[in-house]
Amino acid sequence: MAAVTFPKTSTASVIDLEDVSIGYGRDAPPVLVDVNLSVERGSFVAIVGPSGVGKSTLLRVVAGLHSARGGGVTIHQDQRPGHRPVGLVFQDSRLLPWRRVIRNVEFGLEGLPVSRDERRSRAEAALKLVRLDGYARRWPYELSGGQRQRIGIARAMAVDPDILLMDEPFGALDAITRHNLQDELRRIHQETGKTVLFVTHDLEEAVHLADRIIVLGGTPARVVRDVRNSAGRDGSVFRDQVEQLRSEIADNYSI
Amino acid sequence: MKTYNKIALSALGVIVFLLAWEAVARSGVVPARLLPSPSAVPAAFLTEFKSGIWQAMVLASLSHYLVGLSLGTFLGVSFGTAAALWGKWDAFQAWVVRMLRPIPAIAWIPFAIIWFGVSEGAASFLISLTVFWINYYASYAAVRGVDKDLIELGYAFGQGGLIPRLFKIILPGALPGILSGVRAGLGQGWMTVVAAELFGISGLGMRMMEASGLLATHIVVLYMVTIALLYGVSDFLFMQVQSRVLSWQR
Repeated sequence: MAAVTFPKTSTASVIDLEDVSIGYGRDAPPVLVDVNLSVERGSFVAIVGPSGVGKSTLLRVVAGLHSARGGGVTIHQDQRPGHRPVGLVFQDSRLLPWRRVIRNVEFGLEGLPVSRDERRSRAEAALKLVRLDGYARRWPYELSGGQRQRIGIARAMAVDPDILLMDEPFGALDAITRHNLQDELRRIHQETGKTVLFVTHDLEEAVHLADRIIVLGGTPARVVRDVRNSAGRDGSVFRDQVEQLRSEIADNYSI
Repeated sequence: MKTYNKIALSALGVIVFLLAWEAVARSGVVPARLLPSPSAVPAAFLTEFKSGIWQAMVLASLSHYLVGLSLGTFLGVSFGTAAALWGKWDAFQAWVVRMLRPIPAIAWIPFAIIWFGVSEGAASFLISLTVFWINYYASYAAVRGVDKDLIELGYAFGQGGLIPRLFKIILPGALPGILSGVRAGLGQGWMTVVAAELFGISGLGMRMMEASGLLATHIVVLYMVTIALLYGVSDFLFMQVQSRVLSWQR
């Protein structure tokens, strides 16, 4: 089993995946093979592919929640103290219902060598970043789906991660909220310069947000396309990019 | 329904119940010896109170109850949680639990007397046994039911070690279920108090036995009402605490 390693160096890439293969169970065939991927510092990378292809599992491997069957996963951790290598945002916001919003945002900071005051001020800054600084004392059940997702982002950003991992974070939201949050995420990415690895099955979302798109496909799945993307929401360019990716995924849709 | 109406209706229910009882007792359909009238209870209370017996009995029972309840609750929650957390320990103790579980507290009375004598300790032991099982099963189910995704969240944010996992995720997540077990134990505990004192340990149960031996049924009823009130007060207080502790729930 390959574990995630965290050398404390400053390199151009934040994550290096080398020949990573992933499977469930000892004897089951692998789901994902030959994944080689370097994520540049400050970039916004989307992973797309049909459902069941192993996108989320790949993200869970990077987050250290699942062991790769083979290959190497390296996260180049920065030297600064009081931070975590990864900040994870889930599709279901996964807030702890017995903690008020501010304490949820502080959650990831609790195991770090960070004073109580600093913990509070970093959580407050993260709430401000997602524009919910008036909600610190609320309970999670008092929030809307979009607000809960923003808190999830704040919690991940509060640990000042080397990389922000997002697992279909807007997949369960209504269209309008999703658009708002996509714009918010773009702004946050621009303001903070955080590296983002973003899993989605929504091609339009990927083209709109990411500057690089990794397409997974096939059985077992591998990286079938690695696209530089600058379409943004730029009219016809955007449509072309989405359509091109759609056809490429269809070609590899052999499940 | 408004709170005011609810309280008014509950009070009405109690009054109608007492009036009906009084009517049956006075009508002479049932001999007074078999069914004392509720109006005889205040007089019985005054006599018992003036002689200081009532206070002494209440204090004695309360102390058995509190010791037994806290011990049984603490051990029940601990063992139930441990069994739910560690599969190996669960398997190891599963059949021991199955063998001991069906034995009612009353069946332990002989051993309670042999081990502790006719003493406070024996009563507390019996109460804690009853309370233990209720809390054991409630905690076991509650801990098993904690959302696995939240535990994964803990791992993702560096809180996957036993201590943070237990105290930041599992126990808070299981708390509603654990507390409903504690509440059930609170009531079951009072029932056992009476049973545990019937064989001569000073307290409400013993006094009821004495009174019934003299056919002083109004005194028996007085202590029944006393237990009902003590239970009512402890349950009410517990609910106040619980609603505060679980204020994060919708």
